[in-house]
Amino acid sequence: MSHVRQVSDRRTRPWAPLLVARVTPLGEVLAGGRVATKAARLAVGIFLSVALWRALYATTTTEAGLDREQAVTYAVLATVLVATRVSATWINGDTVLQRMQQGTIIFWFLRPMSARRYYFVRGVGELGYAQVWLLVALLVCVPSGVVLAPDPGSVPAFVVSLVLGHAIFYELGLVLDLLCFWTVVNMSAVQIVFFVQTLLSGGFAPLWFFPGWFRTLSLLLPFQGTLNVPVSIYVGRLPTSQIAGSLLVQLGWVVALCLFNRWLWERASRRVTVQGG
Amino acid sequence: MTTTELAPDTGRLQRFVAAWWLALRITRLNLRARLEYRTEFILTVVTGLVWQASILVFASVLLVRFPGLGGWTSPQVLLIASMRMTSHALFILIFGRVLWITGLVQLGSIEAFLLRPLPVYRQVQLSMFSVNAIGDLLVAGTLTVMAVARFDLPWTPARVALLLAGLTGGVLVEAAVHTAISAFGLHFGGTVYWSTWTEELMATFGNYPLNILPKVAQAALTYLLPIAFLAYLPASLVTGQTHGRAVPALVVALIPVVGLVAFVASRLFWNVSLRRFQGVSG
Amino acid sequence: MTRLGPGDPIVTASHLTKVFHTTTRRPGRWGALTSLVAPRRVSKTAVNDVSFSVGRGELVALLGPNGAGKSTTIKMLTGILQPTSGSVTVAGIDPHRNRERNARNIGAIFGQRTQLWWDLPARESLAILRDIFEIDPSDYRRRLGELDELLDLSAFWDSRVRHLSLGQRVRCDLAASLLHDPGIVFLDEPTIGMDVVVKEQVREFLRHQVQERGRTVLLTTHDMTEVARLAERVVLVNHGQLVVDGTLDDIKRRFGGSWQVRVTLAEPGPEVEVEGLRVVRRDGPVVTFGPDGTDPDRPDPNGTVRLEEGLRRIVERHRITGVAIEEDDLEDVMRQAYLHRDAGTVP
Repeated sequence: MSHVRQVSDRRTRPWAPLLVARVTPLGEVLAGGRVATKAARLAVGIFLSVALWRALYATTTTEAGLDREQAVTYAVLATVLVATRVSATWINGDTVLQRMQQGTIIFWFLRPMSARRYYFVRGVGELGYAQVWLLVALLVCVPSGVVLAPDPGSVPAFVVSLVLGHAIFYELGLVLDLLCFWTVVNMSAVQIVFFVQTLLSGGFAPLWFFPGWFRTLSLLLPFQGTLNVPVSIYVGRLPTSQIAGSLLVQLGWVVALCLFNRWLWERASRRVTVQGG
Repeated sequence: MTTTELAPDTGRLQRFVAAWWLALRITRLNLRARLEYRTEFILTVVTGLVWQASILVFASVLLVRFPGLGGWTSPQVLLIASMRMTSHALFILIFGRVLWITGLVQLGSIEAFLLRPLPVYRQVQLSMFSVNAIGDLLVAGTLTVMAVARFDLPWTPARVALLLAGLTGGVLVEAAVHTAISAFGLHFGGTVYWSTWTEELMATFGNYPLNILPKVAQAALTYLLPIAFLAYLPASLVTGQTHGRAVPALVVALIPVVGLVAFVASRLFWNVSLRRFQGVSG
Repeated sequence: MTRLGPGDPIVTASHLTKVFHTTTRRPGRWGALTSLVAPRRVSKTAVNDVSFSVGRGELVALLGPNGAGKSTTIKMLTGILQPTSGSVTVAGIDPHRNRERNARNIGAIFGQRTQLWWDLPARESLAILRDIFEIDPSDYRRRLGELDELLDLSAFWDSRVRHLSLGQRVRCDLAASLLHDPGIVFLDEPTIGMDVVVKEQVREFLRHQVQERGRTVLLTTHDMTEVARLAERVVLVNHGQLVVDGTLDDIKRRFGGSWQVRVTLAEPGPEVEVEGLRVVRRDGPVVTFGPDGTDPDRPDPNGTVRLEEGLRRIVERHRITGVAIEEDDLEDVMRQAYLHRDAGTVP
């Protein structure tokens, strides 16, 4: 009984590849201990943030345009975002760098799903998972008074800005990942980039506290769009007149990075097919 | 038991000196080995710098804008941070390999160490050179210079002595904690999660005056996991700050002694654990 | 896309050539600098005009020493690499140009590399592949059950891939490559590094796939036992060129020049000499002869004395009371084949 299906264009479950989004979070969730550890770590981090900022503001009412509650809220949101957006793809061996080093990059050419689409679907899954953590943190911290509730009027803008921020974060991660095709990237370089990104996005301290020249610098870069803009909208630090402009800037970065990455993908695939896996 | 190839009639002092001289030579060789990979060396140093990022940002950006923390003035808080970093960097330099115990067990290195005429703990420390320590020391040094320069109390000889005493205590307490954890690491591979967790907690809370935390938390971080002894209490020795402190003044005054006692106890516990060492199954 | 008839070959490689261009640094003190501006381009021909085809349901072994161009050939056949010239057709499709369609027709296993996700239990990895390939859930359950029966996967498929032993992992990769029921399977050194028990399991499995399920298998390997037990047909490449395309016997006939004959002489004389042969060993009356290794590069197939001829010459010269013939070790044959520098053509 010899058979070869001559390929037909009938797609049996065309939406099934979207389920691939579960790849990264699944690994974490199936290892029960890891979720608990993450939750505990997050709790400790939030606890310290709150204590620290409240103590800093003990004798001050407003600093850099933020009052105590705004600063605490910003710090907590920043802590959660930074901690949960760290990519766990490294643990899965799924980054481009690891695939290049192991030679498993070739499997991308043997699947009916383009590598680019896979990375996108996977990215949506990862960031969606991070969203869940953010939501849970808010559900715990807002009713208990630890963190401010958002002004209902700014919620739509916040949500849009957050999604755009995630998109920029994803594209930036992709740039770094794709550069592995041309340069010798290693763990140290990745950590340095991660640090720069966290710093310039407001992950360590709200950007509003930094000196003027630093803030100007960060405005020229995409990083502040990943965290500072959405969180500032949430705490009400960004005047309503500036919100639209900030969202547009975020959108601009998403588009620019997306196009850049598309170009990188093309050159990367060509490089593999010419040089070999 | 330490034995060397010296003639049997050499005195204890000479053997002691010879042992330290050997340790120094091995360290120099380890360092040379790491230096061969120049780029990697530099990158690791820079990455070490990067790890300290949050405290650097805190010190340079926030402390400047705010009048202080928990009753401590900004320069005093800076001192806590710099003391923590310095004692941590020294810890890594001298005792840091204890964090690697799980790896060494898996590699079978402990078995190899047991067959050599040197204390296993010492061999663990000499098994490699932690390049991160250099980055840590650079940052710590810079921060300490800043902190010392900006300090708002006069630097009398007594105060300097207290500073050094505090640093010693901090190093020894950190060494005691991690040595005790690594004693479990000789038997359980999962211990690495606990040591990482402990390192994180120390890095997170060690730089700040702990009286900003609720009393319960402060007690936990003093008696359960002695983070308060790493930098906060030693710094309070230097500044004379007693506000909100949960530990009697006498204990604080004797921090170096406390540290030494804790470390020796840990070390003995480690030896006991080593005696029951089972090795890795094939 | 060409419509294939039942007798048509399912994989066709036609004058495949692959040339790699790399830049090397110029020698000397200023080499690094000069190379930035005017790099020296070096081209390496990894595969040179290789043509062969594989029929439906055949199991073909692709052999050759390291660096012979096997991996490059397989990569061109699977569409990973674009040939510099020549063409490839797999099930009527150009695998490089129609990559996604081709992916549904073929399965592939690359020995040292896993296509599974390290952090996920093996079963979850397989489920992800089910979604990527859009496999119908009932088909998937059925196939997974069959694969489990053959490969005993359920014993370990809840463990994370990173914790699996090599044998377990390759079995999972085998299952992974067949989930979408491809007609053609490419294997690049699948049993490398495995113990003998698992190797035999894998071979049994491959045999089953070919004989019971009618799949076409193209396999590269260094394991000669594997070749002997599995492959009806063998394609030997060396130095990027096709050297032999036939059966194992064809190879033995062409390269089996090394044999040994152990004879017991009736009269153990001091001088034992036979033209064209050398004495490998001598223990009193027992003498072991082999060909004296006359230059194998001579195009004349009789350049090395053959077994029959050698025996004849021994018997002519000496009286013997006993004889034992040691057949070619397949490894020795392959070593001869690999070392052969003749720009050979298909016999």
